[in-house]
Amino acid sequence: MNRSWMKRTILIATTMTLVLALAMFAGCSKKAPVVDDPAAGQGSGQVEDLPPPPVPEDNTVDTTPPAPDYASMDPAEYGVQDVFFAFDQYELDNESMGILSANARAIREAGTVVLISGHCDERGTLEYNLALGEKRANAVRDYLVSLGVPASRLRVTSYGENRPFATGSNEDAWALNRRAHFERP
Amino acid sequence: MKSKTRMAVLLLLLAGGALAQGGNSELYLETTASAFIKTDVKLAPLDVLSGGEKSVLAADQLGEIISNDLVFSGLFRVGTEAGGPDSLSFEYAVEGTVEGPLRDADTTGETAPTTISLNLVTWPGRQLLLNKRYRPLPSQIRATAHHFANEVIFALTGEPGITMSRIVFSRSTGNGSDLYAVDYDGAGLLRLTANRVLNLCPSWSPDGSMIAFTSYRDHLQGLFVLDTANGQVRQIIAQGGLNFGADWHPGGDELLVSLSRGGNPEIYRIKPSGQIIKRLTVSKAIEISPSWAPGGRDLVFTSDRTGTPQLYIIDSDGAGRRRLTFEGRYNDSAVWSPRGDKIAYATREGNITQIVVMKSTGEERRVVTDQRWRNCEDPSWAPDGRHLVFASDRSGVFKLYVYDDEEGSFRQLTFGDEPDISPDWSH
Repeated sequence: MNRSWMKRTILIATTMTLVLALAMFAGCSKKAPVVDDPAAGQGSGQVEDLPPPPVPEDNTVDTTPPAPDYASMDPAEYGVQDVFFAFDQYELDNESMGILSANARAIREAGTVVLISGHCDERGTLEYNLALGEKRANAVRDYLVSLGVPASRLRVTSYGENRPFATGSNEDAWALNRRAHFERP
Repeated sequence: MKSKTRMAVLLLLLAGGALAQGGNSELYLETTASAFIKTDVKLAPLDVLSGGEKSVLAADQLGEIISNDLVFSGLFRVGTEAGGPDSLSFEYAVEGTVEGPLRDADTTGETAPTTISLNLVTWPGRQLLLNKRYRPLPSQIRATAHHFANEVIFALTGEPGITMSRIVFSRSTGNGSDLYAVDYDGAGLLRLTANRVLNLCPSWSPDGSMIAFTSYRDHLQGLFVLDTANGQVRQIIAQGGLNFGADWHPGGDELLVSLSRGGNPEIYRIKPSGQIIKRLTVSKAIEISPSWAPGGRDLVFTSDRTGTPQLYIIDSDGAGRRRLTFEGRYNDSAVWSPRGDKIAYATREGNITQIVVMKSTGEERRVVTDQRWRNCEDPSWAPDGRHLVFASDRSGVFKLYVYDDEEGSFRQLTFGDEPDISPDWSH
């Protein structure tokens, strides 16, 4: 009993001393009259040690340009280029791999989903060209994935010979039509 | 709406025709005999009993269509007088009467039917072999003529003609292509889709009630079915990647199709609901263009497992694979004749594609087109196993042509400036 009474007295005394000391300290600083006023610290030397207040959002807009709306752009508008293939082939050549490296960076930075469509020249059959077009689009997708583009960002389709970019039955037109084309899905 | 209604009416007529078939089959012509021995049929102008100018026009139209049907079959020569430059010697004659509408369309607000009676008789004995009576609306005159011609061919050969068959195909329209159907003689062109995307590789169901085809939604392929009675389209399968090359099983309860499912295309059997029954091929190669044999137990398809596309045969479980073509470095689009004896396909020679017909054993390979025909693709057999429709760009744009494999003759089927591809002949 006695002990607990003494403990309580000491506790009260200590608390009162602390309150007094704080009151005296507060009294030393300018005119802040109340200890528990949240604004009490303002203007005192202690403020200097606190982290600076957060900068309002408006200020960041002024200093950096707005991000382009990649999702509404054709991939060609942010630097993604089509790649071309040899007759009857779906393997990527060195030039195509170079273009696809740049495409991989552009697609990663844009953060968009792109559609890769495979195309063929008019020679051969509709059915086999649909399959060959898919092989071309898949070859491009697989290479982009190997360069770190998430597979979820790449959709693949084949139009075969049914959506030519160039008309005419000559080598120039055929070469333009054997391609993997990038477009907005 | 109008065109859909018309299609339904015509299909109803076709179904009626199939039921009406039968009758006298004692008289046979040798259909497998030399193509150059033909039977001569006299086509007398039909007698107009009443109905004035409209009946005269109907009579002329009936005569012209019946005549064309008999000639297109490849079995007959048709004329009005014996002798002449073709030295016609008639064995049979087609005669008939046209009786105009009793009701007046202008006053009743209806389009009244005409009564038509058509006979096939021996010539010159005039023994009656066949009599058919019809009461068609003006829009059904063509179907009436085709129906009677089919009866004549059946009566004289014991086998149905192809006069009521149709061809479905894909016609380019700018960035897309739409499905159209046309009568086997080139008349009655009917547009079936209008959705601004590619619609390719149509395949009739055996009873003509459905057309399976490949289309794109949001750039991706799916397999669709069009109900020919009401024009409704539903997607039955979209597995990711290619969903194409459908061929309806002769029994009507399943289809062959190529699905790539994101990898490379393989041959599958699926139900019309889209449910996969069985995968028939397993390889890293392209496996496409399946076509059932008439019995539905074997199928021919294309595989490039050797490095070039070649034709192979397997059974409906995918077993018993054997290679069928060893000539040519690019063979695809094989179609098995409904008679079972022949297979037609497309082969690439240099920069152009040509049509080949051979026995289904792979023997007696014949390239039936030549350089004048430029590119020839997508052959499809008529139900008679004699005629073949294919697409050729010999005029500068792909149009459809019909080839008679007995006679070696050709007939242009579709006209106009838009490319026509992917024909499929109804069963």
